[in-house]
Amino acid sequence: MSRPWLKWMPAVAVPAVIVAGVLAVPLQAGAAVDLPEKTPQGVLELAAGSTVDTFSGTLEQSSELGLPEVPSTGDAATAEFADALDLLTGSHTVRVYQNGDDQSRVQVQDTMSERNLIRNGSDVWVYDSADNTATHVTLPADAGATGDTGESYTPGELADKFLADVTPSTIVSLAENTQVAGRSAYELVLTPNTDDTLVGSVSIAVDAETGLPLRVQVEARDADEPAVSVAFTSLSLEAPAADLFSFAPPAGATVSEETLPTKDDAAHAETDQSGATVIGSGWDAVLAVPAGEDADQLAELTASPLYTQLTDAVDGGRALSTTLVSVLITDDGRVFAGSVPVERLQAAAAQE
Amino acid sequence: MSDNPSASGAGRPGAAQPATASSDLSAAAQIETRAARPGGAWALLVSELTVLFRRRRTWALLLALAAVPVLIAVAVRLSASTPQPGRGPPFLDQVTQNGLFVAVTGLIVSIPLFLPLTVGVVAGDTIAGEAGLGTLRYLLVAPAGRVWLLVVKYVGAAVFCLAATVTVVTAGVLAGLALFPVGPLTLLSGDTISLAESFGRALLIAGYVTVSLLGLSAIGLFFSTLTVVPVGAMAATIVLSVVAQVLDSLPQLDWLHPWLFSHYWLDFADLLRQPIDASSFGANALLQGGYLLIFGALAYGRFATKDILS
Repeated sequence: MSRPWLKWMPAVAVPAVIVAGVLAVPLQAGAAVDLPEKTPQGVLELAAGSTVDTFSGTLEQSSELGLPEVPSTGDAATAEFADALDLLTGSHTVRVYQNGDDQSRVQVQDTMSERNLIRNGSDVWVYDSADNTATHVTLPADAGATGDTGESYTPGELADKFLADVTPSTIVSLAENTQVAGRSAYELVLTPNTDDTLVGSVSIAVDAETGLPLRVQVEARDADEPAVSVAFTSLSLEAPAADLFSFAPPAGATVSEETLPTKDDAAHAETDQSGATVIGSGWDAVLAVPAGEDADQLAELTASPLYTQLTDAVDGGRALSTTLVSVLITDDGRVFAGSVPVERLQAAAAQE
Repeated sequence: MSDNPSASGAGRPGAAQPATASSDLSAAAQIETRAARPGGAWALLVSELTVLFRRRRTWALLLALAAVPVLIAVAVRLSASTPQPGRGPPFLDQVTQNGLFVAVTGLIVSIPLFLPLTVGVVAGDTIAGEAGLGTLRYLLVAPAGRVWLLVVKYVGAAVFCLAATVTVVTAGVLAGLALFPVGPLTLLSGDTISLAESFGRALLIAGYVTVSLLGLSAIGLFFSTLTVVPVGAMAATIVLSVVAQVLDSLPQLDWLHPWLFSHYWLDFADLLRQPIDASSFGANALLQGGYLLIFGALAYGRFATKDILS
């Protein structure tokens, strides 16, 4: 034991090596990625020309909207409300399997439970393991190839929406090339050409090889962390196993059958609530919903203790403000919403 | 611990505890004779495991663990109302439809407290228990040296982790078979797998939980080198496992969560998805390996420089 300090060396060296390893991994990911030079237009075309329709991957979705944490326990109405908010707050891991146009499976992983959406041809199943319920929907034969039943989870769906919105109100530029899910990607940045919106920028990582959008991040003005982020953490372009798409509800599950509203019904429903108007256009547009037949529902909503918890009293009503979106519910029941500061909603409410 | 006479006895050197004290002394004598022969190093491992699983305390701990799923199964069987989805521990509502879920529910209930408790008792006792009984210096007579003794002690604790998890799963499966219908298993994804595959998944889960406890065992081993009072090391280990879980539940500390050894403990549910999601197993194994390396190195630093007086 002449040199006892030598025996402590591993206790110093091991943590040092581990810390070095932990620090090295993000550095490696942040290293410069060499890709052929492209203009923003070129990257847009690459994304638009993407033909990838068969893949399996894992998505990481996270939201930092600045909403307070919502308790998931409580009475049924509160729990339902909290469930809806759940998708807006916190983070989720989602596995996506896609095989061609008409077979897909989306799995939202929760602790000890999972929500599944399985589409196989015209059959769509929704299964929730938390309450062991399965819902079956048959798509009409003339439904669009991608269907419109799923929540917008893949970056592809999110990016398509943003690419369609590119108008003179937006500055489109390219950031430094990046790495997502181990693949090299161009990073397209859309910056609003106005100061009146809460959105700071939208960045879309486009796979250099296939044009598949790999990551979509929405940053709020003056925020360091992305307010909303959907990104692949792993991606394989091979076809998923075929038996993933053949779903039969498990024994003991509560099975319900739902029919989609036909086109006529949908049109009818739209005229019913057509009181909603959009004020302005572009990033700082405001959606205005007049007080109407839904007054009962609104009263029910405002009676919930969560409502008081989530909203602040402002001049003329109560406002929900997040880093990206503000909602103003006036005292007379009108609703204004937009990606703008609450003051602008109040101004719009005053003009109406 | 209080239902277990030898656990408290280990903390009081010299106290009259015929069963444990004599078996430990005879073990020490065994080691002395075996150490003289070549291959004594492996003999030390064999003798450690023999002593561990001959102890009444070990059996008491395993029995207590086995009681958890059995109690759950009996309670669900006897109660008039079927459990509702979303109430009580996860999967409880599935138990009446498929007895195999008794094992899963038993694990979920055991993971926060009972498993860390038993593992803390065994890991905290490794070195401090021998020091407290005055048998540590006999063990060090073996030519294998202090490093090997640490390794042997850790392997003993790790084997106990495996035994503890397998006990919960086996007791759960047996109770399920006895009290409920057992058939093809419904996974979280809604897919159904055959009975044979279900047993395979149950074994995988047992493996996952065993790996989950390896980091805690290393921490217990380190604490055990710090003291000659085994109860102190046991309590410190168990308290730390509770503290880690409390920290893991505070959303304000989410930057810390991936570094807590208890963070992936309940993610064994990823083995109940279709297809199996192996990413949490990988992350968990990496994390536990890190804890094993760090606390193993700390335990070595402490144990190799320690003056062994008892």
